[in-house]
Amino acid sequence: MKMRLSSEKLKQLCSERRIQLKDLLRDAGVSRTAYYAMTRKESVLPKSVCRVADRLGVSPASFLSDDSAKVRRIRELQARTDEICRQHPACDRDVVFRTLMNLELPPIERLRKALIRARKSHIRR
Amino acid sequence: MRENLIFADREVAFLRELTRNKVPFMVVGLSAAALQGAPMVTQDVDLWFRNIDHPGIRKALKKFGAVLVPPFGLNPPMFSGETVDCFDIVLTVHGIGEFDEEIKTAVDVPVGKITLKALPISRIIASKAYLNRQKDRMVLPALRSAAKSLEKQRPG
Repeated sequence: MKMRLSSEKLKQLCSERRIQLKDLLRDAGVSRTAYYAMTRKESVLPKSVCRVADRLGVSPASFLSDDSAKVRRIRELQARTDEICRQHPACDRDVVFRTLMNLELPPIERLRKALIRARKSHIRR
Repeated sequence: MRENLIFADREVAFLRELTRNKVPFMVVGLSAAALQGAPMVTQDVDLWFRNIDHPGIRKALKKFGAVLVPPFGLNPPMFSGETVDCFDIVLTVHGIGEFDEEIKTAVDVPVGKITLKALPISRIIASKAYLNRQKDRMVLPALRSAAKSLEKQRPG
């Protein structure tokens, strides 16, 4: 299974973000030569990855993990933290961020974290 | 692996037993703040009981092979037993209202299959500000920051 780079899709994404392809490549540190070479490649993924996908009869995308969602989540929390700290300058940024992170956990996990931290700090002493 | 044993099913089962026996209690202190999302550090889970002589408490303790150690001199009443070691008994919370008054504004926190009552962070802050011990002063800034963060999360 081949994973080609779709210049149409890339141009579409650029257009949605109102940026030009040449600016994107410059910001990403990718030369035009490298970009055009990529577009001509049969597959942008290593052959070994494609062979594993072929053997499984699935798309390589089905076993590649996408870290961008995790990054987006952190960015979102950071933005909310910024907003809270802007409105309440006395707030401790780290505490606000950790609180927002905790809210994504079930209450029992929040409590466990608090108890585990106490045990760990007790051991370190 | 050891971390999974901290506040595990047996502790939750003990709290479930208390609620099943209709014991009026709520979680207070930093453990209550942690349940609500504040990134705190705490050694124990403080349970504020309206009445420590409630028969449901002894019944729950018995079920878990634990006992109630009565107060002695300056020592407050305590639970003793493996399952209940992490719980501290609280009979008075200084700087805020009586149990019956505070339970009305307590926050419902789902823990496993049960819902616990927890003292709201604003009331934890009020109590710690009133007590003003060194250990209270150390945690107050973090509690206040957490409270502001939680305010923003409430709908409406």
